[in-house]
Amino acid sequence: MKRRNFIKGAVCGISLIPGITDKKGRLENLSSNIEADLPRKRLRELGIRIGTLEPGPFNAITDVSGVKVGHKTIIKGEGPMAARTGVTVIFPHAGNIYEENVFASCFDLNGWGEMTGAAAIEASGKLKTPIFLTGTYNVGIVHKAAVHYLSKINPAMGDTGRTVSPVVAECFDDFLSHTMSRQITEKDVSQAIENAKSGPVEEGSVGGGTGMTSFGFKGGIGTSSRKVDDSHMVGVLVMANTASREDLRIDGVPVGREIAGYEYVSGKTKSIILIAATNAPLLPFQLKKIAKRVAMGLAQTGAISRTGSGDIILAFSTANRITRKNQAPFHDIKAVNDYRITPFYQATVDATQEAILNALTSARTVVGRDGNTAHGIPLDQVIRIMKKYNRIGNAAYE
Amino acid sequence: MNKEQDLLAKVIQKKGNFERGEKNCITDIQGVRIGHLTVNKDLVDPSSDSKVRIRTGLTAVLPYSMEREERLFMEEFILHGGKETTGYQVTKDFCYLNSPIAITNSFDVGAVYDAILSYGFALGRSEIWPPFVVGIDDFYLNGIKKSHMDEKAILNAFHRASGEVVEEGSVGIGLGLRAFDAKGGIGTSSRKFPMGSSQFHIGILVVSAHGNRESSGNENSLIITAAVDMPLVPYQIRHITKGLTFGLPAALNPTGYTDAVQCVLFTTANPMSMENEGPPVFDFKALDDSFLPKIIQAGSEAIQEAILRSLIKAVPVQGKDGRLCDPIPAPSIEKIMRDLE
Repeated sequence: MKRRNFIKGAVCGISLIPGITDKKGRLENLSSNIEADLPRKRLRELGIRIGTLEPGPFNAITDVSGVKVGHKTIIKGEGPMAARTGVTVIFPHAGNIYEENVFASCFDLNGWGEMTGAAAIEASGKLKTPIFLTGTYNVGIVHKAAVHYLSKINPAMGDTGRTVSPVVAECFDDFLSHTMSRQITEKDVSQAIENAKSGPVEEGSVGGGTGMTSFGFKGGIGTSSRKVDDSHMVGVLVMANTASREDLRIDGVPVGREIAGYEYVSGKTKSIILIAATNAPLLPFQLKKIAKRVAMGLAQTGAISRTGSGDIILAFSTANRITRKNQAPFHDIKAVNDYRITPFYQATVDATQEAILNALTSARTVVGRDGNTAHGIPLDQVIRIMKKYNRIGNAAYE
Repeated sequence: MNKEQDLLAKVIQKKGNFERGEKNCITDIQGVRIGHLTVNKDLVDPSSDSKVRIRTGLTAVLPYSMEREERLFMEEFILHGGKETTGYQVTKDFCYLNSPIAITNSFDVGAVYDAILSYGFALGRSEIWPPFVVGIDDFYLNGIKKSHMDEKAILNAFHRASGEVVEEGSVGIGLGLRAFDAKGGIGTSSRKFPMGSSQFHIGILVVSAHGNRESSGNENSLIITAAVDMPLVPYQIRHITKGLTFGLPAALNPTGYTDAVQCVLFTTANPMSMENEGPPVFDFKALDDSFLPKIIQAGSEAIQEAILRSLIKAVPVQGKDGRLCDPIPAPSIEKIMRDLE
């Protein structure tokens, strides 16, 4: 279960062009790979719906008002030193998160992963920094950049104000990227921060998801959201790099066992980082329960949380703001009545499943280190299998 | 005899229920080495022409010869605070240590994390993940709010790490720390005791930055690293970390003035060899649970002594904005010692 995994293979120097060579550099039958060339789509655009709740306008974590997402994608070189990595940043709200903290909680379904800052979240119940998602060995550099960013916009930090532990989480992208060389810089992190915006979120092989693989296909960033009522939303964003092909279930259909071709060359399973956001007022103990429902959404995709998969979850609520400088003796806190919380669980489970599947259906084939190829899941096969199980074009599921 | 020696003599004369280890240091655990990087520099900030006083560092505990592909059982108990502690999820869920333990300031956590990876890669280890780095605040004396350590210096601290008597006081991460409204820093101590026919040790290294009543709100953490050489499995290690933490006497851990107490404990017995990913089943030994209270008692004695030593061995340090931090006055130490009786 090693993070570093040498895969010896002939060097193939073509990147981001699908279906040219297989792992050993042999030419493959191009026609069999054409379907991976089809335009990538989100799950919903294929006519597949998860659950009965409606998504928000962008069907993304950014449907939670104020949440912003920024990517920096790093694609450099070919052959053994190729870099297919990057960083994705999530800002929990539009203000200054160091000055205005929000409630948060973490849940480790399987702790074979890193999320820095988690100890502080568990101790304080609060999220005080943006969330960064990246490749395993980039964590130190991204952490350093995050601290520098936070101290630059908050001169009080490390002076009259406490320092904070930035949240930097990782998955291992070594199948497509030469990870030991850590080809990321502080400037890349700054660019991800500058790129952060609300609205639609780019998915698949972008940002931290650039080199990630999932369910034996190309994985990466995926997101989805659900409206709980007129004013409350749950949004989920994942960096998916986990599970094996035969695990894959889409809305209960064992798609992974029926899909043909595109053999994936590495049996190694990696990790998944899952971030849930809501604008509903939830306290940390309630967010812990939301984080556990995120794990249930992951389970619905068929993933079994293998020992080498760091399945790490963070949930936050933007509703209550705890202002650092507020010296008032009392804070006004709202919290959803636990008798009314179940719809939020439903929204969380469904949005999580769809976010993970969006990462798959959105991700294009990527050729990376040593010519290693992770194929985008063939969408025509997904449609065919889902139709076979009467899940597309069936009024009962629409 | 100067004041420091006099106080130390009093601490050492204090008889407990357990014998001290040969060096009375955490390095009494065979294989454990300590490396300090002390960064004590004055720079001129060109933008304001003002002096920037850097008073910080890194203290690393190398649990075994890192050339070996091994993992050691470890648990971390966080009483409160939750200072940055990387490797948190793996420690919690898989209960092992696979890297040096490094304690540094909160701005250099990333730099040290990255340097640990470089260290492991250079050794040819297939794995040195996850790096275990604890970040604490030293910004009462340390004037730089930026990552300042370079990789070469950090690697040097690992390479120079020694299993001999440990330097204490204002060294490593101890340079910029304040404790009990005086100079804090590094302290170490150990205890040995027989169990069955064998002689076992518990070694402690503390980073004292706690007990400050006049705090700027930036500090107040006590980080305890404990090492043992008797065979334990994780639930037992967890039990001991809790015992050591809850057993801290109020005189040395004034409740209400300390906002982070974290304790890690690893055992060098039961190493898991990961050559070729290791065997399908490991053979471990585990001490009988009836011995655990004894380990907690011995560890508590060593922690008390280590905290006292961290205060006594400290030297005056002048840092940020010309602030001067003197060692704790002798009468205050004597009062603490009376309170401990």
